Amino acid sequence: MQNIINLLTRAIFMSTPLILGALGEVIAERTGMMMCAVEGIFLTGAWAGFAGCYLSGNMAVGFLAALICGMLVAMLYGFCTIYLTQHQIVMGTAVAILMTGFCTFFYRVVFGIPTSPLKIETLPVLKIPGLCRIPVIGQVLFSQNIITYITWLIVPVVFYVIYKTAAGLTIRSCGENPEAVEVAGINVRRIRFLAVMVGGCFGGVAGAYYSLCNVGMYNSEIISGRGWIAFGICFLGNWNPVGALLFGILFGISEAVGIYIKAVGGSGIPSELFSALPYMLVIVLTALRKQFNVPAKLGATYVKED
Amino acid sequence: MEQPVVELRGISKRFAKVLANDNVSMKIGKGEVVALLGENGAGKSTIMKILYGLYHETSGEIYVDGVRRRINSPKDAMDLGISMIQQHFSLVEAHTVTENIILGTVKGKIDFKKEEEAVQKLSDEYDFGVPAGARVGDLPVGIQQKVEILKALHRQTRILIMDEPTAVLMPQEIGTLMSFVRKFAEAGNSVIFITHKMKEVMEVADRIIIMRNGRITGEVRKDETDTKELARLMIGHDLEILSKEGTAEDAGRKKRLEVRHVTVQPKDAPAVLTDINFEIYEGEVFGIAGVSGNGQQELCEMIYGDLRPTSGEILLDGEDITPLGVAGRIEKGIGYCASDRYRYGMVANMSLAENMMLKASYLKKWDRHGVISWREVDRYTQKIIEDYQVKAPDASVPAGSLSGGNQQKVVVAREADMGSRLVIFDQPTRGLDLGAINNVQKVILRERSEGKSVLLISTELSELFELADRIAVMYQGRFMGIFDPQDLTTEKIGLLMAGVSMEEMTLRKEERTDE
Amino acid sequence: MSNRRTFTDLLLWTVLAFVLGLVVCFSFLPLMGINPFTAAATMFGGVFADVYTMGNILVKMTPLILTGLAFAFTFKANLYNIGAQGQFYVGCTCAVSVSLALGGRMPGWIVMILAMLASVAGGAVIGFLIGYLKAKFNANEFLVSMMSTYVITYIMQLLLRTVLQESKHEYIKTNKLDKSVWLPKILPGTSVTLGIVISLAAAVIVWFILYKTTLGFRIRVTGQNMDAARLSGINPKKEFMTAFAISGAIAGLAGFVEVNGLQHMLLTGLDSDVGSYGIGIAIMASAHPIGVIFSSLLFGILQVGGTVLSHSTDAPASIIDLMLGFVMLFVLISFYFRRKVELARMKKKTAGEE
Repeated sequence: MQNIINLLTRAIFMSTPLILGALGEVIAERTGMMMCAVEGIFLTGAWAGFAGCYLSGNMAVGFLAALICGMLVAMLYGFCTIYLTQHQIVMGTAVAILMTGFCTFFYRVVFGIPTSPLKIETLPVLKIPGLCRIPVIGQVLFSQNIITYITWLIVPVVFYVIYKTAAGLTIRSCGENPEAVEVAGINVRRIRFLAVMVGGCFGGVAGAYYSLCNVGMYNSEIISGRGWIAFGICFLGNWNPVGALLFGILFGISEAVGIYIKAVGGSGIPSELFSALPYMLVIVLTALRKQFNVPAKLGATYVKED
Repeated sequence: MEQPVVELRGISKRFAKVLANDNVSMKIGKGEVVALLGENGAGKSTIMKILYGLYHETSGEIYVDGVRRRINSPKDAMDLGISMIQQHFSLVEAHTVTENIILGTVKGKIDFKKEEEAVQKLSDEYDFGVPAGARVGDLPVGIQQKVEILKALHRQTRILIMDEPTAVLMPQEIGTLMSFVRKFAEAGNSVIFITHKMKEVMEVADRIIIMRNGRITGEVRKDETDTKELARLMIGHDLEILSKEGTAEDAGRKKRLEVRHVTVQPKDAPAVLTDINFEIYEGEVFGIAGVSGNGQQELCEMIYGDLRPTSGEILLDGEDITPLGVAGRIEKGIGYCASDRYRYGMVANMSLAENMMLKASYLKKWDRHGVISWREVDRYTQKIIEDYQVKAPDASVPAGSLSGGNQQKVVVAREADMGSRLVIFDQPTRGLDLGAINNVQKVILRERSEGKSVLLISTELSELFELADRIAVMYQGRFMGIFDPQDLTTEKIGLLMAGVSMEEMTLRKEERTDE
Repeated sequence: MSNRRTFTDLLLWTVLAFVLGLVVCFSFLPLMGINPFTAAATMFGGVFADVYTMGNILVKMTPLILTGLAFAFTFKANLYNIGAQGQFYVGCTCAVSVSLALGGRMPGWIVMILAMLASVAGGAVIGFLIGYLKAKFNANEFLVSMMSTYVITYIMQLLLRTVLQESKHEYIKTNKLDKSVWLPKILPGTSVTLGIVISLAAAVIVWFILYKTTLGFRIRVTGQNMDAARLSGINPKKEFMTAFAISGAIAGLAGFVEVNGLQHMLLTGLDSDVGSYGIGIAIMASAHPIGVIFSSLLFGILQVGGTVLSHSTDAPASIIDLMLGFVMLFVLISFYFRRKVELARMKKKTAGEE
């Protein structure tokens, strides 16, 4: 029983950055922008978070640095795809290559070649007084770190903004029919750019979660596809914040199971298969799901005739 | 004239390839309905998009209420009380009517209930019958247009621009729209009505401005002109008159295409075609009238093999072709000119030669063992360019770089050639200028005289009366009957298109005489 | 004439973007205490200093041409095969398995042909599966192909740790291949093998398929306008599967030329960038198969140059990715400005005619 509680605690812990990244993706994709730079943004966040925290000795500075750097990368991506009308998937690949080089290069610039890997203390668990004493749930849900709690708060906020406010109406309309939005006197490209920026902030913090909360160090393999999983969660969650939350938790569980089996060992099933589990899950779920409410103009560049 | 509400002075607009507006000046008065008349590509929409801030003028000035204004975006235009309803509606189909109407006018938290009530009230005020909570995509086109009008009313528009508003409407709906336009103008607002149909202009406008090739070629008061003068101003010369020889009843004709009781019923949805039963003889033009969206495209796709009948069968020269797919039917000699050529009939980024190859990729026409002989295709394309007088430098230019009329020539030429037995033309003249229309219609008659069968679908009744040997009227996926053109009047056809059967018409007439 | 003009335009803009990318990248070097000018001199001096290093450019190009072609091929069908990396690994695994199993027991060239066919078939199967999921379930091929790489990478690791592991069971890699199944070297004094000939031939064949055959024509039509394709008797779903299978086959072939040509074994984490570089290469070439050869050359030069730089100065190896990233970024940006200038020129021309 305790094993299962530990497993679930771990699952919730691992789901946080995926949910956060997917929420950013939801905001951007609702305006019609596929954030194919998400993998690069995660990596940048992980790097900037680590560097900021290591140099200042302050977690908050780390997360702030990750947020800003994530936003900057997103702005670069947004500028090229929205204003220079470049292809979103292609640009995403370019950003991924660039940021891989950039982060590794600047890790070296900032830290030189350390004799042993640099480490920091990971973000501590913040037990919520009272609630954390509830059996099972107390440990699983209320003995997590602050970023996790904030992520949970953001889910309803994003939901509210998207479905209940004028800004949300504009965001949704941009993804469905940008021409109509333009005719209504709203600058489509500005809305898309802003949405991508916000998505970048989310992605940056999500990336930093891996370096600051999970392992307490940085290397270039730290993200290895997690950004893309967040991207997939946004799809599977039907571009809905609540969907992102649910699928985020599902993928958190699949990651936790892999980690757990590897740690326990002796199951007879090779550990590589468990590592591959989340990725296989994306493939299977994308193939099985029939009904998607894809924003009609997702991925299509909006070219404004002038 | 008193102070005009809007004045355009010397507006020019240059795009990369064309000069769309050349020194255009006009004045719009208060309470006036002005029709902007001209063929496709005359620059009517462009000049109005400039006034609405969607395009920016290359040179020239805009005055609103006598004050010089720079209109950089639709937002600026709306602040001045200008609204424009685009030809292709600017509606988010996945959203509700209310969401569409309040887009861009609300801030912060939206009180959906309150907004919906306000929209409903506005709709009721004008007797539009628009359900404020419905999803726009679920509404018929006529109602969608009313949503667009409501959008403008919601923003307290006093200058309303409508771009080809009647193109999508049924004859009855056009009447309602016209009376709205009049009422709206009488309340002291101004309306600019873009159209290429002279009849409408005569009906609704106070003043008519005619454009051709980006310039204003005339400005007349309605009561001082007639359609003949308008036509001349529009196209610059008089029209060639077509003549049709012989009739379908000529002796000894064989049945070419037989469609026997075909029904197409998609899963979990109402039937798109119900019990369609007709035949086309060789050398006959079989016309289909109807408001677009009543199953015409499905009918074409069914005959062309893209849409499978749920029941019934299709025979070509007595041979059952029901099981064949598109490739098989192309091979049997059926050609199909789809209504939306840009989407269904050509590949804009590919060369003319490649577009000629499009339908022949499974035929052994130009390839040996799967290797295409582009030299042969080029030679063929070059011949088409000459025969049909396509304005194109050579076979290697992308099809998308041609004008609409020339694109249509290419598609028509290809399909007339591919369809050695039957050619389907779905609205072949839609969106073309009068010269090009003439051209396409001549091809149709030529194919007919060569003994081919032609299925002609058109929303232009005059075209059907001119070309078709027999006419069927379609309504909601059914035939309302097959008629000899001589037995039909425009009025009768209008009622048939609205779903009133011949029997009902006689009944109504009897009732009236009874009174 | 207009064609030639477009070509010179493309060349000029690409060179400009290339130079700008390098300038920006090198401007970071002073942070590491390296003079960018000497670095540039070292790099280009080093690359063209001797035959061996120049040969290395061709060596680097060999798999890149193929992964570039793999992406370009589906791109023509308006599909995105982001999974070339995975298909490359499948190709590697197939080639190494066949070569290890049969190497030395049969004439080398027969084994090599079998290994090549196996790698092609392996890649094609993966590609086909992705295309099948797209055609049958309308699964997002971008996501599926992206994820397939991660799954395949883990499975390859599993195989390398178990059945394929070298005899001593120390490292996660295979035994060295028998010399008889090494692709022969074709240029004396370099490591250039027959692999480059295979890659170049593949580019020509892909070009021929795409532009000269009905098969390629149908794929291109489907990519450009699916509705028009359908109404021309073409079955888009079939074209999706065909395009993906061919694309996978090409990426699989890259595995063969890399394993039998250069590495002579398979180890974990081999060429982990070859897939994403392929995307960059295809894009820089606007997905034209022959253009892919030239943009691969560019990538090859930068890769070899980066290696020279990291060996002879304090610059880290990550300078390669930094260079490639910036060059790609600027090339993409140049596409925008090239188009803009073209439009302005057209405007001027039409204005002159009136």
